[in-house]
Amino acid sequence: MAKRVLIVDDAAFMRMLLKDIIIKGGYEVVGEASNGAEAVEKYKELKPDIVTMDITMPDMNGIEATKKIMEIDPNANVIMCSAMGQQMMVVEAIQAGAKDFIVKPFQQGRVVEALSKVGK
Amino acid sequence: MDMSQYLGVFVEESKENIQALNNAVMELESNMSSKDAIDEIFRLMHTLKGSAATMGFGKMSKMCHALENLLDSVRSGKAKLTENLIDLLFMGIDKLDEVILSIENGGDDSDLNVEEILNMISNKPESSEKGEKASSSPSKDDVKESSESESSESESDVVFSDAVRDVAQKAMQKGLNVYDLNVELMKDSVMKSARMYIVFHKIEENGGQVIYSDPPVEEIEKENFETNVRLVTITPMKMDELHDLVINVSEVQKVTIKPFEDKKSEEQEKKENPHPESVQKEEKEKVQSKADKRRVKLTQSVRVDVEKLNTLMNLMAELVISRSRIEETLKKYKIKEVDESLSQLARITLDLQSTVMQIRMIPVSFVFDRFPRMVRDLSKNLGKKINFVIEGRDTELDRAVADEIGEPLVHMIRNSIDHGIESEKERIGAGKPPVGKVTLSARQEGDSVVIEVSDDGRGFNKEKIIRKALNKGIIQEYEVATMSQEEILNLTFAPGFSTNENSTEISGRGVGMDVVKKVIESLNGSVYIESVEGKGTNVILRLPLTLSIIQALLVEVDKFVYAIPISAIDSTLSLKESDIKDVEGRKTAIIRGEIVPVVDLRSYFGAESFDGQSELVVTNYKSRKYGFIVDKLIGQQDIVIKALGKLFRETKEFSGGAILGNGSIALIIDVPSLVQKALER
Repeated sequence: MAKRVLIVDDAAFMRMLLKDIIIKGGYEVVGEASNGAEAVEKYKELKPDIVTMDITMPDMNGIEATKKIMEIDPNANVIMCSAMGQQMMVVEAIQAGAKDFIVKPFQQGRVVEALSKVGK
Repeated sequence: MDMSQYLGVFVEESKENIQALNNAVMELESNMSSKDAIDEIFRLMHTLKGSAATMGFGKMSKMCHALENLLDSVRSGKAKLTENLIDLLFMGIDKLDEVILSIENGGDDSDLNVEEILNMISNKPESSEKGEKASSSPSKDDVKESSESESSESESDVVFSDAVRDVAQKAMQKGLNVYDLNVELMKDSVMKSARMYIVFHKIEENGGQVIYSDPPVEEIEKENFETNVRLVTITPMKMDELHDLVINVSEVQKVTIKPFEDKKSEEQEKKENPHPESVQKEEKEKVQSKADKRRVKLTQSVRVDVEKLNTLMNLMAELVISRSRIEETLKKYKIKEVDESLSQLARITLDLQSTVMQIRMIPVSFVFDRFPRMVRDLSKNLGKKINFVIEGRDTELDRAVADEIGEPLVHMIRNSIDHGIESEKERIGAGKPPVGKVTLSARQEGDSVVIEVSDDGRGFNKEKIIRKALNKGIIQEYEVATMSQEEILNLTFAPGFSTNENSTEISGRGVGMDVVKKVIESLNGSVYIESVEGKGTNVILRLPLTLSIIQALLVEVDKFVYAIPISAIDSTLSLKESDIKDVEGRKTAIIRGEIVPVVDLRSYFGAESFDGQSELVVTNYKSRKYGFIVDKLIGQQDIVIKALGKLFRETKEFSGGAILGNGSIALIIDVPSLVQKALER
């Protein structure tokens, strides 16, 4: 069965793009969230295998959300979506429990690589 | 990847973000110490940057990056927030707005002059000298300085410090494994330091420890390395386990591992012993975990093309019509069993109709939110202090209506600020508060939305209006005496009218209110002015909630049914032939003491003329009354407007058609056009 992915990003545009990439990569997108708080709710509800998590978002950023998700499920697979120059944020997210990160602008290959590696 | 399919969403969302940026910068301007505002601007800029880069608009992305850095230097205290900086931000936002507009119109970001903005950012006089360069010139961000520590490929000749060897030896004595590994990242890997951090993190997570790294951790943090990093690690893991662990980090291309060899050396240790833990400590400081006070929106939304909504609306209308036809047909047969299901069908279609209508509704904030910025610029340009208040921004109206009212509102607000609000000196002289107040409000009243622009300015001077109207030949001398207050104010709607002798750049030359009225009437709405000299002016727009369904009076003329929009109707009355008088070859009727020109629709539509009892429908057009003679009034009904199609494009008298319950068609009379045409003849 295809792995189930939850996409979190405040930009609908980014969600749309990621969704296409992820589906093309053979995964199932089970939900989308546009901010951290929603992401946590969705995580509880959907129990996805993998979460792609944007960092800068209103109403709870991606790092806080990752922390919350890790509290709920210490085995959660969270991949951070970062922009150039957010090194510190990424490092913080990794400390919080994120497994990997992908950098915008997204490259299809990299996204799929991250998804396949994190699922192992 | 073909990105064109995302262009629409990109443009739409970028517009929203730019709007939000405008609001946030204004918030910042009014409260220079607002950290929330800075964070918000930063976040929005960041989102824009990411989206632009993804769509391949490099210049736009670069520009956002520059502005983002500017904000960052403010946030970190490196640069001071000044009025100039705010102006710079506004300018940058305007540029982004232009780019989006050009992209929307099929262009790209190639016209964007990034350099100009960059220069302005780096030349801003208030910036403190230190640390400024690095943070505000984006081009320098990604530059990798070459450093001696890059020579990690040539591993064999590395000499480990005594400390490293000491630690390694002790670990081996304890039965732990010590490996010397070389990690190679992909050439085009970005944010390599974070990538390496994952490697460190994974090793530590599995009970390991990195005791040596070349380049040292400090340099890795600064991204002062190409693709290779050499690590010495103490770990309980086996060699192949460690290999799998590290190679499984994304963008790690190659991992070579060998057992640590303790090479003795007399040479002095050259490099500091890096503590991987130090990475964590430093970064903890950067944590910004401020809980956001903004309300959490947990509703989900889907973006839909407006065209699709229009189609849905049309289908909805067809459904309503089909239902009424079935109803009409079945009435003849009086089948009890069908009645119940029929009334259920009626309920469902009604619910469906209102749901579809709701989908088309958007809050007026969609239009209103761009005005604070405009008012700010106007007030700056004119040197008038304005307190701009928006009320009822959650009031909803049809998307199609909302799309049209932007321009009229711009005119109205400009008029208020330019012509209405006096200069500060004048205001103080008149005993008014020095800051002028302009209020933009919206509210729903029954089936319409009322939008008001009111100011506490000087109001209209009636004598001035009359003089002007006489000069422009809009009215004749003899008309003045009989004109009501309302009629005088309505003169400002006449084409080519402007009360301000020296029309400014801002309000243009007398196009304002004329255009406002035209647009609003084309939306089946109406405009009124209330004004008290010295106290202020209030311009009131009354708009229908939706354009596609209107309330109409159905009338019969020569056995054909016509629909007249209720919004255009003043009253109806029965009349006899003797009530109609011929005045100078024109038919007129006297209604409540007022002389009203009358058009006999029967003769106008080429049918037999007047015979006995008729009905007169009195309509309003340009504050004057006009009567239409019809055979019969049928009744009031909600009708769904359908376009007539190309074939009838020249038929200006009808604004569309509607299908009635019995399947027949009613033409919808366009009152202004009909009045004009009929009276020209």
